[in-house]
Amino acid sequence: MKAPLVPHEMLGPELGLVVAAFSGILFGFFLERAGFGSPRKLTAIFYFQDFAVLRVMFTAVVVAMAGLLILGGVGQIDLELLAIPDTYLWPQALGGLLIGLGFAVGGY
Amino acid sequence: MSPRNPASEGQAYWSPYKAGLGIGLTLLLTFYIMGHGLGASGAFTHLTAKLLHSVTPEHALANEYLRDYLGTGSLWKSWIVIEVLGVFLGGLLGALTAGRLRLQIERGPQASRGRRLVLALVGGTAVGFGSRLALGCTSGQALSGGAVLAVGSWLFTLTFFLGGYLFALLVRREWQ
Repeated sequence: MKAPLVPHEMLGPELGLVVAAFSGILFGFFLERAGFGSPRKLTAIFYFQDFAVLRVMFTAVVVAMAGLLILGGVGQIDLELLAIPDTYLWPQALGGLLIGLGFAVGGY
Repeated sequence: MSPRNPASEGQAYWSPYKAGLGIGLTLLLTFYIMGHGLGASGAFTHLTAKLLHSVTPEHALANEYLRDYLGTGSLWKSWIVIEVLGVFLGGLLGALTAGRLRLQIERGPQASRGRRLVLALVGGTAVGFGSRLALGCTSGQALSGGAVLAVGSWLFTLTFFLGGYLFALLVRREWQ
């Protein structure tokens, strides 16, 4: 079985929606367990009190990245077919700044 | 009455590394099956496009940005909409099983409810606009784009933290 499964048509788009629900439930569950239901915990990073946001986020990024590299290296996943966000430097820099503002002010 | 702090109620939170491992494996599984990562803000764009279309179809179809979101058929066939509903359910399940489910407006001990709600609206508006500008939010850009080493996503992550640290100085009393 060659991944990614849906772009390789090993799995239809209807089953993709089941995956959406499943991935979403896991994502939401782990976010809650991390304490990210609490805006006070989330914003505590900006007052140098709790670095959970950074630790959780970077652990997740490194785990997924390493997994993709290993699976790609042993030929289990076709890295060429992965969706990589397009690069628009100024909009992404400004968007990031605005989301940082909103996150600090709004709490999520 | 000062607001309650949910961190002191219910089960202890997981270690950030354990929770991060869970999210990382979820992200990896999503890439393995779908070829793309997780998101959040896109669901609200789908919802906006569909709502506008149901009120004034001509206006929605004339809008170059929202038009692209109207071709996918029903809202229930949109991958990201279903994923975000799953996030809501997963979060609810997590809060329930940890004994943390409370109806409350969480804020710092000195912040008023009204101020907190106004700032939530201001912050939410900035996040909404920023996530359309950047083609994604912390889930789609920082997390999913970061894992595939997208240049723009890493720039986004840097400016996200920069914006957070800068503007947090103005609202310290809301949280601390």
